[in-house]
Amino acid sequence: MSLSVGEGSFVSLVGPSGSGKSSLLRAVIGLQKPLSGTVETTLSHAEIGLLFQDDALLPWKTARDNVALGLTLNGMDRGKALALSDTWLERLGLAGFGDRFPRHLSGGQRKRVALAQVLARQPKLILMDEPFASLDAIVRSRVVRDVAALVERGGISVLLVTHDLEEALTLSDDVYLLSQGPRARITQHYPVPIPRPRDPVRSRMHPAFAPLHERLWADLSLAVDHRAEAV
Amino acid sequence: MKMLDPRYAWVRRLIALGLVLGVWEAAGRAGMLNPLFAPSPSKVWVALVDLFADGRIWPHLEATFTAALGGLALGIVVGVLLGVAAALIPLVAELLEPVMSVLNAIPRVILAPLFVIWLGIGIASKVALSFILVAVLIFFTVYTGIRQVDRKLVERVTTLGGNRLALVRHVYLPSVTAWVLGNLKVAVGFAFTGACVGEFVAATHGLGYLLSFAQSTYNSALMFALILLILVVVMLIFFIAGRLERHLLRWN
Repeated sequence: MSLSVGEGSFVSLVGPSGSGKSSLLRAVIGLQKPLSGTVETTLSHAEIGLLFQDDALLPWKTARDNVALGLTLNGMDRGKALALSDTWLERLGLAGFGDRFPRHLSGGQRKRVALAQVLARQPKLILMDEPFASLDAIVRSRVVRDVAALVERGGISVLLVTHDLEEALTLSDDVYLLSQGPRARITQHYPVPIPRPRDPVRSRMHPAFAPLHERLWADLSLAVDHRAEAV
Repeated sequence: MKMLDPRYAWVRRLIALGLVLGVWEAAGRAGMLNPLFAPSPSKVWVALVDLFADGRIWPHLEATFTAALGGLALGIVVGVLLGVAAALIPLVAELLEPVMSVLNAIPRVILAPLFVIWLGIGIASKVALSFILVAVLIFFTVYTGIRQVDRKLVERVTTLGGNRLALVRHVYLPSVTAWVLGNLKVAVGFAFTGACVGEFVAATHGLGYLLSFAQSTYNSALMFALILLILVVVMLIFFIAGRLERHLLRWN
């Protein structure tokens, strides 16, 4: 299988559980060695951001310290990092929450802090693994909208792994379907012709959305059915 | 059943305590209690005031405090160092784990006579007993704690560009602090247990020494007074430890 993410493009990977979507992301960032094949990137580690389902904020650091940590670890001095941290928290609607510890924030707020931590580092590419799965519907749609806007404005490339077909289609320029593992492969590629800038909620009304969604759904069900038959 | 207002629990408890003490005192005065076994509260109070009035309590308090706090500090430092070493270096864990497990399984106060032979009847043997009680507790706290550090936090700091030093500083150290503080009250209790038991065995000073003196002279008023005193002292330290814990673990 082969997949590439161009500069500034939003690419999604969908597929049945166990198709190795997460492993693929982990291989890109080097948390896991690929069994075979290679990961080629022109980017340094510092230019790649990660947003996973688990927000993995340090519980003993306040929101602003968590965001600042991503900067100081890259050599920025603390004062500057804290100032930048406040800017990003404000941009993500968390003005006034900087001094709270993660435990005292809601799930949506924590996700926004994690996002601020990633965006403050001005990444060229963000790898997302089901980042919104733990959020309830309303919070989720708001966070997704903000992510879409910030990523689009910043010209940041994204590689998103998700189970949610709607999310994949409304956010992405390209959607790839992975087959059931082991030995999962990319079986389909769906370019998404919805024009940018996009609003993820309104994108659902675009005439291209419904037929694409239907096709993707049918193909994914087929992939899952295959598995059921095999068992 | 009518619910009790939890805000006034302390009032009800105080009244109950007053009643018990009142009945106890009355029974004592009426000659219903043998003062050899249960001296009336007023006699205990007099004994307690006596201890402070002539100032002879201070060297004993000092001895016990020094032994307990010395053993506590030493036990925490050594326990943390060994725990960290065992968690990070497999060979250390392999060698240390059986020793610590054995020490953890036995009632460690049985080592008291041995420490007296090794270190004499001075303060050193009491510090040693406090130390061994605390160090084993802290060792296991830190050792198991580090192995259970949230992998996701380690991954997160690594992918943010953190090296080993950053991991220690931002992940391991705060985790270790949290576990040690979470066990601080238990450790304080252990430290005083060690000091007092050490003083029972052989000593020239300390609250434990006074207790065993009171026992050998059948002075139960003094004994009750000392128990009360130790209770107050430990409660005070618990209170301070609790405040420290609440402040340092305010994120939790």
